[in-house]
Amino acid sequence: MQDAIVELAGARKVFASPEGGEVKALDNIYLDVRRNEFLTLLGPSGCGKTTLLQSIGGFVRLDAGTISIDGADMTRVPPHLRPVNTVFQNYALFPHMSVEQNVGYALEVRGIPARERREKVGAALVMVGLGGMEKRRPNQLSGGQQQRVALARAIVARPKLLLLDEPLSALDRGLRHSMQIELKNLQNELGISFVFVTHDKEEALTMSDRIAVLKHGRIQQIAAPREIYDRPANPFVASFIGVSNMFEGSIDSGSLVMDRGETLQLGRTLQDCKGRATAVIRPEQFSLSFEQDTRAGIDVTIDQVIFVGAGFELYARTRGGRELVVSAPASARDDVARAESDRRARLIYVPANIHLMPGEGGSQ
Amino acid sequence: MSLNWLFRGGLVAYTALFFAFIYLPLALIAVYSFNSNPVNMMTWEGFTTDWYWQVLGFKTTVSEAAMYIESTGQLLAALRNSIVIAFSTTLISTVLGTALALALYRYDFLGARTYRVLMFMPMLVPDIVLGIALLIFFVNAGVHLGIGTIIIGQCTFLISYVFIVVSSRLAGMDRSLEHASADLGANEWVTFRKVVLPQLMPGVMGGALLAFIISMDDLVITYFIAGTDVTTLPIFIFAMLRRGIKPEINAIAVMMLTFSFLVASLGLYLRSRQK
Ligand SMILES: Nc1ncnc2c1ncn2[C@@H]1O[C@H](COP(=O)(O)OP(=O)(O)O)[C@@H](O)[C@H]1O
Ligand SMILES: [Mg+2]
Repeated sequence: MQDAIVELAGARKVFASPEGGEVKALDNIYLDVRRNEFLTLLGPSGCGKTTLLQSIGGFVRLDAGTISIDGADMTRVPPHLRPVNTVFQNYALFPHMSVEQNVGYALEVRGIPARERREKVGAALVMVGLGGMEKRRPNQLSGGQQQRVALARAIVARPKLLLLDEPLSALDRGLRHSMQIELKNLQNELGISFVFVTHDKEEALTMSDRIAVLKHGRIQQIAAPREIYDRPANPFVASFIGVSNMFEGSIDSGSLVMDRGETLQLGRTLQDCKGRATAVIRPEQFSLSFEQDTRAGIDVTIDQVIFVGAGFELYARTRGGRELVVSAPASARDDVARAESDRRARLIYVPANIHLMPGEGGSQ
Repeated sequence: MSLNWLFRGGLVAYTALFFAFIYLPLALIAVYSFNSNPVNMMTWEGFTTDWYWQVLGFKTTVSEAAMYIESTGQLLAALRNSIVIAFSTTLISTVLGTALALALYRYDFLGARTYRVLMFMPMLVPDIVLGIALLIFFVNAGVHLGIGTIIIGQCTFLISYVFIVVSSRLAGMDRSLEHASADLGANEWVTFRKVVLPQLMPGVMGGALLAFIISMDDLVITYFIAGTDVTTLPIFIFAMLRRGIKPEINAIAVMMLTFSFLVASLGLYLRSRQK
């Protein structure tokens, strides 16, 4: 327990929908945020990310369940008494205060004397790369600068946990990328936990120590980015994270039988599974072959070959019309050239390496 | 092209007429207030500032017969009453109207919607009806008519004006700022003082100025509930008119206009500084 800074247990929140029904924004959430962890809440819009974040911040009152922060029960504690600060989605800077006053606000309400306050504000502004902007008003700053002020304001009082609600979504691409790196560095430097909300999978994969994927107020999977990418818990996670080459079908004595009559051989360990399932073979798990032998493989036609620097990407199509992506290393240059000129190949896979998930319908 | 030109020309002419319609009478009053002709103020006789001095109680060459005001004391007393009433009602209606607007913005209690609609009523009810209603109420309640009843009576509708001005300011306010303040460790009171109130201030000031000006020149409602002892400036002027229009009224009008203008300018200035 000692390594968890936040523990949510059985958290539920139901909103009345405008249509008169109910929306389960949080549906029985169990979540631990570890110390010094960069945890990302990832999911499509409306899946409950903001609600989850705000229930940690104290702005959403849970219908059921408990939340503790740093070992203390916070379920009924109002926001201003929680050792947590938030970077809001729209920044929420105080328009009538200067940058300095904005950043110093948390210190001022704690009664920190002016001189000490000025020092800490200056340090926080330097930390986010905004030294010398103390006297400006928020409306005299660019979007990226406002973002940094919001960040400085949230870290100046050294919270135990920083909550960030899609802080980068309003920034343009280039700025966004550099802010991703800066945020990650800042988290290391401060040595506190970040709970970061995004609907951008790339962002989640690059920045996080762990990712919690949400859908309809439920956590679908919580794991390290690599784990989520390699072994998605279900087809929803797989398709949301952008996994290619999914095969849906029913399991029948060691193979996956797909709707168009195609079959996939499964590894021995998977043969006990029953019912409908979705299999994943990642692009780099295929190897190219041109012989018909006993190895498990899929005959495909090659639509397109793209050189991507470190290797090649092949866009292939099965006889049943299923589109597949294959990535081949630069060392497989000769095979790729042959596949391109023949416009056909056999994709060899290792059945034991196939990732199999129960259920189907990855595209929500 | 020429149609466009015609259209533009028409628009300019219309705008000019529009402003003339509104401001010409006011300009005429200002001009007449400097006319030395004591009998017929439509006929220009010469420039004088005597009417102003006379109204303010200084001795001038103007004959007593040309004046209504037997003593400037009456006028000043009426003015003093008006100012006392305006300050009191402004204070009361600003505090109550703002509190009401905040309560309805903040809390979603049973009947909040009805309450909101009810707040518009005093502005929709004809003045004369409101005046009579208040008079009947005060008389039945056995309250002696005077400054007290005027203050209470005016507050009943001034609260509405303040409420509406402050509410519109609140409606444009960003709720997430309050969240941000709480998030940074401020309790509700500190949040109100440091975040809500500063943002709300232009609305509160605007409401207060509006209340002050409306209070200063309310005639109909005040007339009903003033009783016999108390005269306010509008009532005093109204009484003067019944004895015919004499030049000094122009001077009074110009002074009131100037005052209102200054108050409004102050309001606009404060508002622009708050931005
Ligand atoms: N205050 C609210 N009142 C009613 N419904 C709400 C409220 N807040 C959120 N919801 C609903 O709860 C669901 C989750 O919302 P939210 O947490 O904001 O999603 P996300 O941040 O992942 O986009 C949505 O369906 C949303 O419409
Ligand atoms: Mg959101």
